[in-house]
Amino acid sequence: MTTYASSAPEQTGIWSWITTVDHKRIGTMYLFTALFFFLFGGLEAGLMRVQLARPNQAIISAEMYNQLFTMHGTTMVFLAIMPLSAAFFNYLIPLQIGARDVAFPRLNAFSYWVYLLGAVFITFPIFFHIAPNGGWFGYAPLTTNQFSPGANIDFWVMGLQILGISSLAAAFNFITTIINMRAPGMTLMRMPMFTWMSFIVQFLLILAFPAITIALVFLLFDRFFGTAFYDIAKGADPLLWQHLFWVFGHPEVYILILPAFGLVSEILPTFSKKPLFGYNVMVYSGIMIGFLGFGVWAHHMFAVGMGAVADTLFSMATMLIGIPTGVKIFNWIATLWGGQIRFVTAMKFAIGLVGLFTIGGISGVMHSSPPADLQQTDTYFVVAHFHYVLFGGSMMGIFGGIYFYFPKMFGRYMDEALGTWHFWLTFIAMNLTFFPMHFSGLLGMPRRIYTYDAGQGWEKFNLASSLGTLLLIIATAIFVINFFKSRKGGLPAPQDAWGAATLEWSIPSPPPEYNFARIPIVTSRSPLWDLKHPEMSSGAAHADADPVQVASANAVPLREETEHHTAAELGIPMPLNTVKPLLTALGIVIMFSGLMFIHLDHFALAMAVSLSGAALLIGSLYAWLFSPLE
Amino acid sequence: MPGKHLRRLPAALVVAVAALALAACGDQYPNTTFTHLTDLNTATDALWNRLLLLGTIVFVFVEVLLLVTIFKFRKRPNSPAPKQVHGHALLEITWTAIPALILVMIAIPTVKTIFKTQAKAAAGSLQVEVIGHQWWWEFRYPELGVTTANELYIPAGRTVNFALKTKDVLHSFWTPNLGGKRDLISNKTNYLWYTPNADIADQVFNGFCTEYCGSSHANMHFHVYTVSEGDFGKWVDHQKTGALGSPIAATPVMAASMPGMPGMKRDAKVAAAPAVNTAVNTAVNTAVNTAVNTAVNMAADSGYVFPVGKIPAHTIPSTPLPTGEREVKFDDTLLPNGNAVAGRELITSMANLGKAPCLTCHIVKGEMTMMGLTDNSASGPNLTHFGTRHTIAGGIYRSDAKILARWLKNSRLMKPGSIMPTLGTGELDPQSGKKLAAGLDDRQIADIVAYLMTLK
Repeated sequence: MTTYASSAPEQTGIWSWITTVDHKRIGTMYLFTALFFFLFGGLEAGLMRVQLARPNQAIISAEMYNQLFTMHGTTMVFLAIMPLSAAFFNYLIPLQIGARDVAFPRLNAFSYWVYLLGAVFITFPIFFHIAPNGGWFGYAPLTTNQFSPGANIDFWVMGLQILGISSLAAAFNFITTIINMRAPGMTLMRMPMFTWMSFIVQFLLILAFPAITIALVFLLFDRFFGTAFYDIAKGADPLLWQHLFWVFGHPEVYILILPAFGLVSEILPTFSKKPLFGYNVMVYSGIMIGFLGFGVWAHHMFAVGMGAVADTLFSMATMLIGIPTGVKIFNWIATLWGGQIRFVTAMKFAIGLVGLFTIGGISGVMHSSPPADLQQTDTYFVVAHFHYVLFGGSMMGIFGGIYFYFPKMFGRYMDEALGTWHFWLTFIAMNLTFFPMHFSGLLGMPRRIYTYDAGQGWEKFNLASSLGTLLLIIATAIFVINFFKSRKGGLPAPQDAWGAATLEWSIPSPPPEYNFARIPIVTSRSPLWDLKHPEMSSGAAHADADPVQVASANAVPLREETEHHTAAELGIPMPLNTVKPLLTALGIVIMFSGLMFIHLDHFALAMAVSLSGAALLIGSLYAWLFSPLE
Repeated sequence: MPGKHLRRLPAALVVAVAALALAACGDQYPNTTFTHLTDLNTATDALWNRLLLLGTIVFVFVEVLLLVTIFKFRKRPNSPAPKQVHGHALLEITWTAIPALILVMIAIPTVKTIFKTQAKAAAGSLQVEVIGHQWWWEFRYPELGVTTANELYIPAGRTVNFALKTKDVLHSFWTPNLGGKRDLISNKTNYLWYTPNADIADQVFNGFCTEYCGSSHANMHFHVYTVSEGDFGKWVDHQKTGALGSPIAATPVMAASMPGMPGMKRDAKVAAAPAVNTAVNTAVNTAVNTAVNTAVNMAADSGYVFPVGKIPAHTIPSTPLPTGEREVKFDDTLLPNGNAVAGRELITSMANLGKAPCLTCHIVKGEMTMMGLTDNSASGPNLTHFGTRHTIAGGIYRSDAKILARWLKNSRLMKPGSIMPTLGTGELDPQSGKKLAAGLDDRQIADIVAYLMTLK
């Protein structure tokens, strides 16, 4: 409470970004960084599709191809889709629950910097042709020293651990934020659906990441210190890795898709002018998906010979998860039903998700049946399946979310004409790329092969996939042009850019650093509709809840805030900018990097680098903890 | 304006699906999984058909419902404010129950098929050990005393029970036409069995490794030859023997180091090595050269070999020879005059070249064996009947003198990551980045090619 408004909204310059602890600025940085890595991962895919466009090509070497497919998966999962979701968590959760920031603003900055540095650490080796090459799944024993003596896998093992720190710190932060910082009257069952899905995702993160952390620590000890968790010569069972990896890896799928489900659940009601159909069931099905997601991991392992009983159990659990997912699809369609549908770009992407994710869901049920899966697993059929889930699902939802929230973030609309081009090209290109993979897989084409022979019946499907990828790159280029063009020159957007129902639309665009001048009292699931279209809320079951007790002297009934004041004028204490989270993050990454020199037999150098990293970590952490927040 | 675009959506979808469906029907798909060639795949395909039918119904239902909804409820001028509906318990219960019902219809045959296909293989089935190596396949018939590589012969109509193991990393054994895959897991034995239909003798099927296993994962193929019981018997009788071009069991010392002989300790084998060499020098040099010469000159009786004429095109590898930086240059004119006797000499004694002899890693049953090499300790494919095989190098190249010569000269350019060392003098070893100072010249390689081709 010592300093007010040291970070005034006018603050500009690179230093203000480096030291920011504002969740909106951090969210924006997540968005830009993650979009960069999305483009990077897309170009990696583009190179692979060039190589596979025709049989028996030698444009890319086997070794480079193996690095490309490893990094494409790793990049898209850990450096693109997860942080794109994190951009929305950061930006939206406080706004949607009526809070002024996240619970731990500096920890939030720390999460971002760890992510950025970890992403650089795991990505730069590809420019030196020493990128990780064991697949994003890193199956032992291929990733042990015996079979992968180079530094490639070291970058992967350490990079993923660094990125895990970022995800865990962020997850605890958002859980605390959502539990503690909701505006008065914002009961759990009044939270916007995006916040609900994000809430579930944070629990998935804190439960799933320990599993892969254990797996990675074992591997790191094997590679650097001679333990034998995965050393087959000493009798290791390589299935240990697979179980640990997929206990993480399957919930990870829901970590990637649920935020997109949340975004779509915001977009569909807004442009149908109807509330989300079956809110409660949507919440429960999200929780159900998250819960069941931990009981299905071994469906990735039907070919490893677990035996008939285990195969049966995991098969049944996997089928079960189709039920809550199906419910979501039908509830979205029911939301549209009877509405007044406006086909803005955001809406097109949201409807695209409903249509395309359905295909991924159906093929998912197809390999929940182990005997059928044995003809599908590790073929292009599976590649088709999860791209319908992750591109047709996650990415369509995220693109929709970007078009939807762009006016909130930058105060301007994205261009609708370019957006329409982007949508239709993406829609066509994504089907052209991934639908033929169903065929190439079922017609015998294995995954992860850098070349294939002519005359195997796969040529035209591969050519189609490659042409589709080219089109997809063009479509994404249109998006990038639109993004940067609209940021400076888009149509100015009012604060309630789309006529939506939730709190974030009641404040200016872009929001002031303190978000809400007065914390609003929330009385329903669609507070802004209550305010602006009271006729639309009549008879809503959720409005019958007990009248809210005013919990805070500061809280007032919701009104649209249009005046611009600084935090100082309003007397709102804001957290101080600080560089310490970045220094702490840097310390962690340097500490890990030191280990790299062990493999080069520079033990003293390794110790020196690691210890100086540790010193930086401890020093800046202490400085951080002893400096006041406000 | 956007509404106009949206109206094109159904048309675009129909066109896309129709185009793909046409594409999928108009051609030959030699590696299709939709076959009924084995009992396993017949069962799998029945399950798949149900999945496809139910999946298609759900797909059509959901997508049509979605398209009708967005078409019917698109915003029109002056349309009344939508009715605010928050949910409908009965509807929601219905669309929870119907997917559940569909899943039950899938679950029941799934469980039945799991237990049926994962039961123990019937007694009396043919036992085959499949052993994965980076990046080739070893096939052993333990009851029959046959070991071969990359080419699997099985009798049509008899159940074959595969015991799947790996020497190194994980691999996965898959013949799309014949049935589902099974992984090869280190320190574990997996099983997979199926019965090829009695009427599919004289056919060849492609097989692939489907678990990522490192650099040349894409180059780890195999071929399955289904043959009649009679032909299979002939094939086994011949494959059991030593190579015809070799001095079969010329000395007792060699017999002692033959694969499958129990009681040989590792140290004993090492100690036996000098004795072997002496024996070779004395006995073999005299008798053997004649034997080889005879073998080369006579029409080889190779028992049963799957006839070249019956091999379908898609199972004949057409991997091109590497070009550009990875090209392996070889003087092909030397090949017709390769001297098998000299080649035989070279594979056993390359010490003068600073190289381990071929027989340090490969077994040629009937030839002298280095260091008491057995099937279990050999790191390279068993070459005993190399001359009867149609492919080399993990099934990615045809067995052809020109290709084989280049393979011997620098296999690491021919197959990325290849564990077999670069052998040609002056060749760049892509793994070490160094040029090989002392190795084989083209003349010597032509001799070894000539010898290997006599191993009928």
